[in-house]
Amino acid sequence: MSGFGFPGTGAGTVTSGQGGFAGYAPYVDALYRGFGTALSRLGAEAQAMHADGVVGVRIVETSMGEGNREFMAMGTAVRAASPTRPARLFVTQASGPDVAKLLQAGWVPVNIAIGISVAVRHDDYATQMQARPWSSSNVEVAGYTELVQQVRADARRRFDAAASADGADVATVSAMTLSIGAIEPGEGHTDHVAECRVVGNSVARFHQGGHAISTTLTVLPLRADLRADERRRR
Amino acid sequence: MTVNDQLGVPEDAMRRLAEMRPGQATSLFTSDLSVNEFLLVREAGFRPLGLVLGSSIYHVGLQMGRWSKNQELGTLSQAMYHARELAMSRMEAEADQLGADGIVGVRLEIEFKEFGNDLAEFIAVGTAVKADQDHPVTPDGYSWRNNRGKPFTSDLSGQDFWTLLQAGYGPLDMVMGSCVYHIAHQRFSQTLGNVGQNVEIPQYTEALYDARELAMSRMQAEAEALDAEGIVGVQLLSLAHRWGGHTTEFFAIGTAVRPLRPDHVIAAPQLVLPLTD
Repeated sequence: MSGFGFPGTGAGTVTSGQGGFAGYAPYVDALYRGFGTALSRLGAEAQAMHADGVVGVRIVETSMGEGNREFMAMGTAVRAASPTRPARLFVTQASGPDVAKLLQAGWVPVNIAIGISVAVRHDDYATQMQARPWSSSNVEVAGYTELVQQVRADARRRFDAAASADGADVATVSAMTLSIGAIEPGEGHTDHVAECRVVGNSVARFHQGGHAISTTLTVLPLRADLRADERRRR
Repeated sequence: MTVNDQLGVPEDAMRRLAEMRPGQATSLFTSDLSVNEFLLVREAGFRPLGLVLGSSIYHVGLQMGRWSKNQELGTLSQAMYHARELAMSRMEAEADQLGADGIVGVRLEIEFKEFGNDLAEFIAVGTAVKADQDHPVTPDGYSWRNNRGKPFTSDLSGQDFWTLLQAGYGPLDMVMGSCVYHIAHQRFSQTLGNVGQNVEIPQYTEALYDARELAMSRMQAEAEALDAEGIVGVQLLSLAHRWGGHTTEFFAIGTAVRPLRPDHVIAAPQLVLPLTD
């Protein structure tokens, strides 16, 4: 992700991925612990039922006020009609039909992967000038662009690392969110903080051969194509 | 693949899971395609290489139009073009690094930010793909890159992408045209003259025609520069953004395509009657 030549690229942005207390790293660790604990309890419950996997998992984060948050993960535990038992439980957000389609095409779900990063950047003089309100200038605000690029890059890196650590071949992103806001570290001066989350599912390949297995049949539904109408209206 | 027909579980899938050990080396790729789209893109003969993304936070300033005049606000049109181009070219640069032939499922979005005045993020996200060698979809000696030497881009869904290739067309690039237009205010006497009547307001009609025509013709010019045969999936949007009621961006976007082979036959679809709502 580096080497795009933004003016001012370098030390200006601090990401949580740099470790220690850099860029809100303790806050990010807490989020990871929250999601991780919820998912591991979901896994433990499924394992107690002798399941092979959990499908259709939903992950919900609720704010309880005063800095407390509830992390919840729920899904349907399933067991394969097979003599082979996987070494570890597979967990996926994919629905039942999607899991069936994947299996028939030679792919098997592995795990849910999460990448979270928070970054902070000092509003330097150039940034303040580029972003000053009520001006007629049409310019890129290089500092903010760098902030969102770096926070996304760091979250994507952590997402990839999580999927790789599971030994998967594919990771499909189901949600990528970014929020950005101002903080006031000193009198009359603001800096900006960005948080990025990437959530998705890792999948492993088991079919052999160069090409994908082709099973698609084209069909024409004998009813109004509601989705196409909606597309046109958009 | 051995499929356990009676039970429906591919035995290989269970074996793959059973053999899996955390931390073993793989060649992982990411994508933001849905399960359906991912499987269809694979079936169409393309291998996803990774999620690619380009972003630019842009300060979109002001440009005043004459109060009672229909006119394009050229500076703002330029700014909207430039910011989108920055996002798209950064996404293409990421795809280039992966050695991609193209980018599918591109979403090009604008989000005005709450934290600053007139700040908008322009973001382009898609999945970089590479054509499977020796797959029948690629004609001999065909290059998927367009005449600018860049990976193709397409905002079609995985389903539309599959259908396009089946029918013998290949995407070239996303083409777009933008026109930010100031629509004249009516003078008080004009407004008064129309009270209680159902009449056409010609100057509004003209303004909208003019602005749409400018946006469409710019998109068409981009497609012609690519030697495209046509443009599919065109969306013609009017985006008010944050400029108030009389200043609107007219934006046309679509995927320019060219034929891969002389015949364009697609298998006759099966008729189905879904028993669901």
